[in-house]
Order: sequence, then C-alpha cells, then structure tokens
Amino acid sequence: MRATIVDGLALGLRFGLLAAGLTLVYGLGGVLNLAYGQMAVVSAMVVLFGIDAGVGVLPAIGMGLVAGAVLGLIFDLTLLRPVYRRQGESRVLLSLLLSLGAAFMVDGYLSWRYPFRSLSIQIAGGPMNIVGVRLGRGVVVASGITIVVLALLFVLFRFTALGRAIRSVIEDEQGAQLVGISPRRMLRLMLILSGVLAAIVAVTQAMVRPVTVTTGFELTVFALIVTVVGGLGSFAGAFLGGLGLGIIWSFAASHIGNFLSLVILLGAAAITILIRPSGLLGVKE
Amino acid sequence: MLEVSGLSAGYNGNNVVHDVSFHVNEGEAVMIIGSNGAGKTTLFRAISGLLVRSAGEVMFQGKAISGLPAHRIVRHGLGFVPAERHLFPRMTVEDHLYLGAYPKRPDPETMSIVLDLFPRLAERLRQRAGTLSGGEQQMLAVGRALMSQPRLLVLDEPTTGLAPKLAAEAYDALAMLRGRGLTVLVAEQQVPLAMALSDRGYVLENGVIRMEGSSAELAENPEVQRAYLGLV
Amino acid sequence: MSDGFAIATGTSEVGGVERRASRSLIPLIVPILLVGAVLSLAPIWLGESRVLMRVAVRGLAFASYAVGFNLIFGSTGQLFLCVGALAGVGGYGAALLADEAGWPLIPSIAAAVVIASLVGGLLSYVAVRRSLGVIFTGIVTLIFSLTFLNVVHQIGGDAGFAIQSGSGTFLRSATPSYYLMLGLVLVCLLVHGLLRRSHIGWGFRALRDNEVAAELAGINVARYRVLAALIGAAMLGLAGALFAQTRGRVSPTSYEFAEVDVLVLVMLAFGGIGTLLGPILGAIVFTIVGELMVDLGLLRLVAHGALIIALFLWVPRGVIPTIGSALTKRRRRRPTPSQEAALPERVEDV
Repeated sequence: MRATIVDGLALGLRFGLLAAGLTLVYGLGGVLNLAYGQMAVVSAMVVLFGIDAGVGVLPAIGMGLVAGAVLGLIFDLTLLRPVYRRQGESRVLLSLLLSLGAAFMVDGYLSWRYPFRSLSIQIAGGPMNIVGVRLGRGVVVASGITIVVLALLFVLFRFTALGRAIRSVIEDEQGAQLVGISPRRMLRLMLILSGVLAAIVAVTQAMVRPVTVTTGFELTVFALIVTVVGGLGSFAGAFLGGLGLGIIWSFAASHIGNFLSLVILLGAAAITILIRPSGLLGVKE
Repeated sequence: MLEVSGLSAGYNGNNVVHDVSFHVNEGEAVMIIGSNGAGKTTLFRAISGLLVRSAGEVMFQGKAISGLPAHRIVRHGLGFVPAERHLFPRMTVEDHLYLGAYPKRPDPETMSIVLDLFPRLAERLRQRAGTLSGGEQQMLAVGRALMSQPRLLVLDEPTTGLAPKLAAEAYDALAMLRGRGLTVLVAEQQVPLAMALSDRGYVLENGVIRMEGSSAELAENPEVQRAYLGLV
Repeated sequence: MSDGFAIATGTSEVGGVERRASRSLIPLIVPILLVGAVLSLAPIWLGESRVLMRVAVRGLAFASYAVGFNLIFGSTGQLFLCVGALAGVGGYGAALLADEAGWPLIPSIAAAVVIASLVGGLLSYVAVRRSLGVIFTGIVTLIFSLTFLNVVHQIGGDAGFAIQSGSGTFLRSATPSYYLMLGLVLVCLLVHGLLRRSHIGWGFRALRDNEVAAELAGINVARYRVLAALIGAAMLGLAGALFAQTRGRVSPTSYEFAEVDVLVLVMLAFGGIGTLLGPILGAIVFTIVGELMVDLGLLRLVAHGALIIALFLWVPRGVIPTIGSALTKRRRRRPTPSQEAALPERVEDV
C-alpha cells in the first residue's frame, strides 16, 4: 500500500513537471502547444547524440536542456506569429492545429529516421530505501531533480519580480500591458522555459524508463490530462493535479492493469471538464 | 502635453469614434463628458494603445505614440486607468503596487504617497484584489497606475459603481494629485464631479466632439445643463 | 447555375441576403450526380488492380467520413476529434452483433449505426449542456476517442479480428464494394445537401455565424447541434460498418486518431469546411496523394503535418471557397477591411 503511494507520488511529481510547461504557456498566452511531447523527445535525442559523440553524460544533458530552450524559441518565432494575431478561442484553435501539424512532422520524421533509438540514463548504484519502500535509484534521482526544479519554479513565480510579471499576464493580459509588461515577450520567455522543462522531463523520464521516439504523443496526452484536471494556467494546479493523478494511476495500475489506468485518467479529465471546465485550480473566466 | 488629431477608432471595421481632435496641456485637468455609448471608452482605449486606431495621430510630450502598443505607451509616462480596471484578481494589493512600478523597483516615496492617499489600501496590502470592494478596487487601479510615476493620468469613468461618498473621495484624491503636478484627463458620466476638478472639457456625442470650452463655459451652456447636469 | 455554385461553395456572400431562388432540387442533385458519374467510372481504369481498388474503396470510405465530419464540424462548429472512434463504433458494433450475438447482417449494421448516432448525439448534448467551447469539445471527444481505442485494443487485440458474417458475399469483392461505398457517399452528400437547403440548414448557418444572435432569434442552438451530431455520427457509423465489411475485418488501427481523424481534417480543410463537395474533393486528392506517397512509409506523417500547417495558415477556408470567391468576385460587395482590422485588440510586439 505504502509502496503504491510512494510510486504514485514519484510518478505524480513527473506528471506535475510535465504539465507545468503546458499549463503555463496556455495560461499566459492562450496557446495550446500539442507538440510539447515532441519537444521533450527531440531534447532526449540531442542528449543521446551527445552521448554517442563521446561528450560526457552531464554535458550531454546540458545540451539537451539548451535544445529544449531553442525549440521553445523556434516555436515562438515560427508558429506563434500567426497565432498571436488572433484572440481567444480562435487563437487556441489555431495554435492547437498548427502545433498538432508540427507534432506530426517531428514524430513522423523521428520515427522514420531513428526508429530504434531510445534514451536511457542509468544511475549507478542499487535500489534505495525511501520511507521503507524500495525504489530504483533512477526513480529516486529523477524524483529528486523534479522536486528541485518544481521548487525553483515556485520560488520564481512567488518571489521574483519576473515571476510576478508572468503571473500578472496570466491574470489579466490587458492589465499587464497597462503596467508596461509586454505579454508577447513574457510568452516568449515562457515558451523557452517550457522547452527547458520538456527537456528536463525527458531526461528524468529516461532515468526511469527508456524514452523512445514514439513517446512524444504519450507525453503530450498525459500533460494534457493533468493540465485539464489541475486547471489551465495554474502552476499549483499542475503540481497538485499531477500528484493526485499519479497516485490514482499507481493504484489503478497495481490493482487492475495499465490499460485501465489510462482510461481512468482519461475519465478523470472528462469528469473534470464536465463539472468544472476551468479545472481544480484554474482561473475561472 | 497630449495632442490628439483626427483620431478614428472602432471595432470590426466600424468606427465608433470619428475624427476626434483635442489636446491637454501640462498641468491641466481636462474632462471628456458624454452619455453612454458616446465613444469615451473607445477613444481612451485607442489613445492608451489597447485598441488599434483606424486613423489619426496621438502625440504625447512631442512624441508620436499612435501606433505603439499599450505597454510601450505606459513607459512614456502615460498612465491609464480603464473603466474595467483590469486588476489581477488573485494577486495582492502589494503585488499590484509593485507591478505598477514595473520594470523599476517601486519608489518608496511614490509608494507612501499612494498609501497616504488611499489608507484603505495600506490596511489591506496582503489582501487579494479579487476580494476587495468596488471602491477599494478602484483605488487600487488608480494606485497601480500612479506607481509608474506618470506625467499624465488618464481615467475612464473612475466613479462607476462607487457610492457618492467614495466618488467624491476619489475626486478629492485627484485634486490632491493635481496639486502635486499631475496632469489629468478624465472621461465621466457623472459630470458635476468632473467639472469641479477640470479646467476645460469636451463634449463627446456619437463619437464626435460636439462642444468644447472651459468648465465654466460648459456649465453655463443650456444644452450641457439639460443633458448632463440634470437641470432643465 | 449560380445557385448550384453557391451551394457547392457554401457561400452566400451576396449581400448576406439568403436568396431563396428556385426550390427545385436540380442545383443540388446535378453536382452530386456528376460526382457520382465521374467516380463510377473509376473501376474501368482501376478494376484490374486489386490493390488500387482497395485504395479506391478506402478513399470512398474516407469521403463519407469527411462528409459526416463536415456536417458536425462544418455546419455547427463542433470540433469532434473522434471521427475514427465513431466509425469504429459502427464497425466494431456491427461485427460484434453479427458474429457474437448472431444477428443477421443488415440489422446488426443498422443497430450499430443507431448506437454510433446516439453516442455522437450524447457527446454533442453533453457539450451543449455544459457550454463547452470548441476546445473543450475537442478535448472531450478526443478523450472519448482514446478511451474507445483503448477498450477496442482489449477486444480482439491489436490486430483486430475477421468478420464472419458477410463473407463470401458481394461485400468482399472489389467492384461491387466500390459501388456500395460510392452509393453511400452519394447518399451522405444528398442528406447533407438537403439539410443545408432546409430551414435546418438555415439554422446551422445562423448559429455558426453568431451563436448569441441565433439564440436570440429563437433558434434552439442546442437542438440543432445535437441533430447535426446525430446525423453526422450516423454517417460515420454507417461508413465504418460498411467499410469494415468490404475489408472483412475490424482492427483498432483503422479507427485511430492518427489514421483517420488527421486525414479527414486535412481533407476537409483542403476541400473547404462547410461546403458540400469539399469533402469529396479533399478525399479524392488525398487518396491519390497518399497512394503516390505510400512508399514513404512514416514520412507520410510528416507530409500530413506539413499539410495541416500549410492549410490552416494559408488556405483556411479550403480550395472550393477560395475558387468560388475568385469566380464570383464581380458579384461580391466591396471587400470589408482585412481580417486584421477586424481584430482591433491585437497588440503586437516583436
């Protein structure tokens, strides 16, 4: 029982980090990035190529993070230009369609070119004992990194001027403009950040389970589910929603089976949309 | 200080405001009065950059701000308090004031001026804006705009939804700020208050400037009296 | 001629006034018959090759899918990202009823179609009742799609199973099945066309343009939406069931999002969302293109992605309306200021 909860929490932390990138971009710019999973996968590929090329593991990971940032920037500079000219629902719809197209392009290319590659990061050392539960060292390190990153994000949003500026754009875009904040620039920053987060997710995921070229859509779907349940645009929602869904998944998987776990998560998302579309902690329109 | 010439703006290809020209001199207080739907909000949104104009120019302190986006215009020293206020519901009063000064750090002196002006805000620094009363929210909107140390403060119907006492207090605050050198441009439906504050005024009707003159002149004008002062 | 064209283009840009010209069905029937005539000639060229006939039948199935989706999305703006799943309900439903429950073929297909229709209607009803916007409708229907596929993977496994009933009949042979599917497409087009010309179609247009105004004008938006979903889903279910019959098997991959929905979206976007013949044009073009690209394997996904981007960026209304606009340019009013002026709140910063 305790093992299930701890497993669920470890998974939930990763869910939270995964969703954070997606939900913040949506909250800030009203843009849905369905190519998010692909951003993670491409970053993973960069790390893989780095390792292949003989660069050490840590520098390769660094390269992967940079790649994530660059991908976010590219997304902003290319696809977002036409998207930003629209407002509201029209903007979300176009961003959804364009990013979906991009996701297919990247996914198709990677699957075609590198069908059997996958990134797997082994952490030396045997399993560890956390609160009486045996966890693989990869899971522990991954969770540790995730906690640190989430904490850093928290500090950023709550205690820095930049974080305050970002939050203000999420709260009221026009209000933010009135105090001299450029929502467009904040969105660009947020996209770069979401790219880095995607890369981190890929790297931590690789410590637990190999990240293949096909993992992209899976990641996006999970990110979407957590985002919807936790609340669009809410960092806390992504965190709490992630933890909650991670635990639910863990219980479902251990008692029933993996396939049903997905259905249950999907069901949770559907129920949330039907009862409270803005999500648990989302900004109510 | 502010020079608006031939400004037209609207929505979906239709202009609400047509060829409007007026000016505000430094140190003045100018009012734009008009009934609902006259176009005051559209006009102000166009000036502040929240709305893209169809035609015309706006010069502020000699610089053309007509095509600039709102966040740049603020940096030039034009503070705007819109009718909808556009506050940040889940952020605190303190956050708002800090943000008002963005990108600079808040100036302690300005902060204390604002808090002196609106003591209620000082009591509620840690409170979330969404939970404030209507009057407090209005004060916060003005306070936030003041934190950027604007040369010109533009307010769109600042007394909407305020009880008469609070409305009067708001205008007292504005008068006080005028005394400290702030130039004010205000759009109002509640004309008597605005008239007391302003030196000059313009009457906006159906998107066009119908009349202009000093406050005294406008107060004497029978049409103004009938339409906006409730005097027959 | 002009009316027929207006119908085909889905535009009634003539001063916004609905021209109730002749009530005759000719402007509707003629284009459909023409399409039918042209397409019925295909087996003459393709009949030799079983592979190509299969491709053609698949193309027709997709054409029906596209018409159904067009009715749901094009007419009433409901983004149903579960086209494949609804077709799957028809396909799997009919197969299960016929094989497992022992029903005769036609009733099992009919029942499956009803089920698919009700599912579609239910999704629409829920979306309407909860006032879900386009995005959330899309997400909810996507969730349905993923769930359905997950469930279906459990039934019969990843490879699906063969359908016993109907084997050995004309349904399995190439040319008859082609004409069956062609008949289906034409029927779907006819239904769609008739709907559009009726007062129901008028209601569709009204609510697509401005929901609030339509509601105020007394149009029960909810009812129209659900109706469109019921009929559209029925088309999808029927197409799915018949297509499965022509194949002789049902499998999850034939109804997956990446396989069906994406392609249907591209086809419709290309042809023209909301037009009558747009889905047909899109289906024809992309079936041919898909066949030409078949050797590229996974790279096809890249092409699809690129097409989605290109289409929604540059030709969002689709080919038919764009051509339609060009040809009726004389008749059109002075163009209103560009799209960007219609969005005065845009504040750009680079």
